[in-house]
Amino acid sequence: MNKELEHNFVELLEKHQNIVHKVCRLYTNNQDAHNDLFQEITIQLWKAYPKFRGDAKFSTWMYRVGLNTAITLYRKSKRTIDTQGFESVSFKIRSEEYDDTEEQQLKLLYQAVHQLNDIEKALVFLYLEDKNYSEISETLGISEVNARVKMNRVKKKLKTILNP
Amino acid sequence: MDELDLLKKDWQKGPVKEESLLSSSEIYPMMHKKSSSIVKTLFYISVAELIFWILVNSIPYFSSAEYRADLEAMYGNNGILLGVTIFTYIVIITFIYLLYTSYKSISVTDNAKKLMESILRTRKIVRYYVIYNLVMAFLSMVFGLYYTIYENPEVSAQFAEFTDKQLMAALAVMVLGTLMFVFVFWIFYRIIYGILLRRLNRNYKELKKLEV
Repeated sequence: MNKELEHNFVELLEKHQNIVHKVCRLYTNNQDAHNDLFQEITIQLWKAYPKFRGDAKFSTWMYRVGLNTAITLYRKSKRTIDTQGFESVSFKIRSEEYDDTEEQQLKLLYQAVHQLNDIEKALVFLYLEDKNYSEISETLGISEVNARVKMNRVKKKLKTILNP
Repeated sequence: MDELDLLKKDWQKGPVKEESLLSSSEIYPMMHKKSSSIVKTLFYISVAELIFWILVNSIPYFSSAEYRADLEAMYGNNGILLGVTIFTYIVIITFIYLLYTSYKSISVTDNAKKLMESILRTRKIVRYYVIYNLVMAFLSMVFGLYYTIYENPEVSAQFAEFTDKQLMAALAVMVLGTLMFVFVFWIFYRIIYGILLRRLNRNYKELKKLEV
């Protein structure tokens, strides 16, 4: 039974691991930290998995556990010292339809998002993942109106960071 | 186009590099690694605190017959000591029960705010336990000093010889010593919990700020 549970879990996580990678991407600055946070989220997901009920989508459930781990539970381990810039690790340069200005703008945008605080990052993350305000409010435990207000503030803040 | 929409377009394409994707054989060992979450650390700290205070309260009593005799003499034989002991154990059991239920209520699948609140509530219970112990330590020091000064013939004889000035100085030293003791503990806890929960507190404040 336990083996079967483990097997199902690993299969699901392997399939949806992109979500965890994306959380790690927003909340860490280098590969070591990325791996460390990925591992902690995996542990938390696995610990919570026996209580996971099929009525929620696995991916939706992962958003919650992933963000909760990143915002609340995770303690940066000592070995994750910032040695490498974020962009040098995960920023992809696509050769097809290469557009220098857009590429440059994206790079600045990713850097700007990295300057936001943890809660603002969570809002941006859910927004980028195309979650509606009702889902954002449920994940963070704030009202929908406040989620909207905060999102607008985050957008303004990003603009200020980009055009000081 | 809105900056965030540009980012969203890129994000939706999937910003994760192919080579960072993990295979199931890499995920298996990860699941069973030890968690380094703050809940786990908080749990260890609170267990350590429980044990520490239980030891502080019981070791002198059980290891030194003299201390035990002193204590018994101090409380008299009217069952006060028994009452205090029973009270202490009730408090400890209550704290263990509260901590246990509080830890059980921490769920990573709650929303972010609720999760933070459960953790902060647990931390509060540990704090009350520490405050309780500091108050008890303070009271027993005061009580112990009072007893020593007035009931111990040698010490009271010495105190009787003191001038008013010397008496004031002795009292001042005692009060300062007690305050120092409480202060050192207080700083110690501020540092431990301050470091551990700094990020959580900051994020919780940020979420609370939205409601104002």
